[in-house]
Amino acid sequence: MDKNQILDAVQTIFRDNFDDDTLVITPDTTAQDIEDWDSLEQINLLTAMEKKFGIKFKLEDVRNLNNVGDILDLIARLSA
Amino acid sequence: MAVYLITGATSDVGRALIRRVLGTQDLVIAQGMGDLFLLEEISAANPGQIIPYDLDLTAPGAVEGFLAEIAEKYPVPTHFVHLPALRVVNAKFKNFDEERFLMDLNVQVMSAVKICKAILPRMAKAKYGRVLFIQTSYTIGAPPKNTAAYVMAKSAIGGLVKSLAVEYARFGVTVNCVAPSMMETRFLTDTPDLVVQASAADNPMGRNARVEDVVPAMAFLLSEEARFITGVTLPVTGGSAIE
Repeated sequence: MDKNQILDAVQTIFRDNFDDDTLVITPDTTAQDIEDWDSLEQINLLTAMEKKFGIKFKLEDVRNLNNVGDILDLIARLSA
Repeated sequence: MAVYLITGATSDVGRALIRRVLGTQDLVIAQGMGDLFLLEEISAANPGQIIPYDLDLTAPGAVEGFLAEIAEKYPVPTHFVHLPALRVVNAKFKNFDEERFLMDLNVQVMSAVKICKAILPRMAKAKYGRVLFIQTSYTIGAPPKNTAAYVMAKSAIGGLVKSLAVEYARFGVTVNCVAPSMMETRFLTDTPDLVVQASAADNPMGRNARVEDVVPAMAFLLSEEARFITGVTLPVTGGSAIE
């Protein structure tokens, strides 16, 4: 799966989670850009990504994610 | 001789509690649902003392039939411990169906109301009773988002406990709760690892609650010497929720 495919799948997860079909994310999107994105929602997002990509995040991996790009990189690394 | 009525007795907490409090003369009426095999080891180690009942607490008439049978066959319970709960579902409020709220209420609260109605007047007559519920640290301060049905049912338990505590205080019956923070048991089967790990990392003690942290607090509230403590919710949280 290349970065764009990962981004598409992650965008679907964001849209489901925040219940907003028009939500568009980019690698630069941060929690500041989405009103409802707090630490708990982040865990919900990551849990949905674990399911979608068949991977397991470790807590230390996900504590320092700054934007969607960091998430995409992490997914790419873990599913490589 | 103590007679314990424990609902949800097959849970990790239920079994640890039985092991902790069971005296040689005591009886435990132990309710589970489709998982009574989990009590086999305790039953074998304490012959004749564990009376298992396989019972769906939400099935129409089931609790009533069960109460009638135990009233006929066994002495009045001296202790009632109510543990059943549905596993926590993490869902936004608008995505919860009303049915789920009702299920949580039926499993945890309405079953307790029915059992308390049958048992507490008899405890009052006997001038002795210890009633104990398990709440959650989610009802202390702000709850986490997306757990509305669970928090609503647990809060209802808190209201029931306070009401029963004052109503039965004169009769030597105490009614209390313990409120553990996230506890690592089979109950968490549906909770993602990441949630469990994050909860541990955020706890001031750096870990989640364990059964062996919670059961001694329960045993204390069930003890004879806790006679003047009633209507309380005792947090067992490692400091993660402080009233």
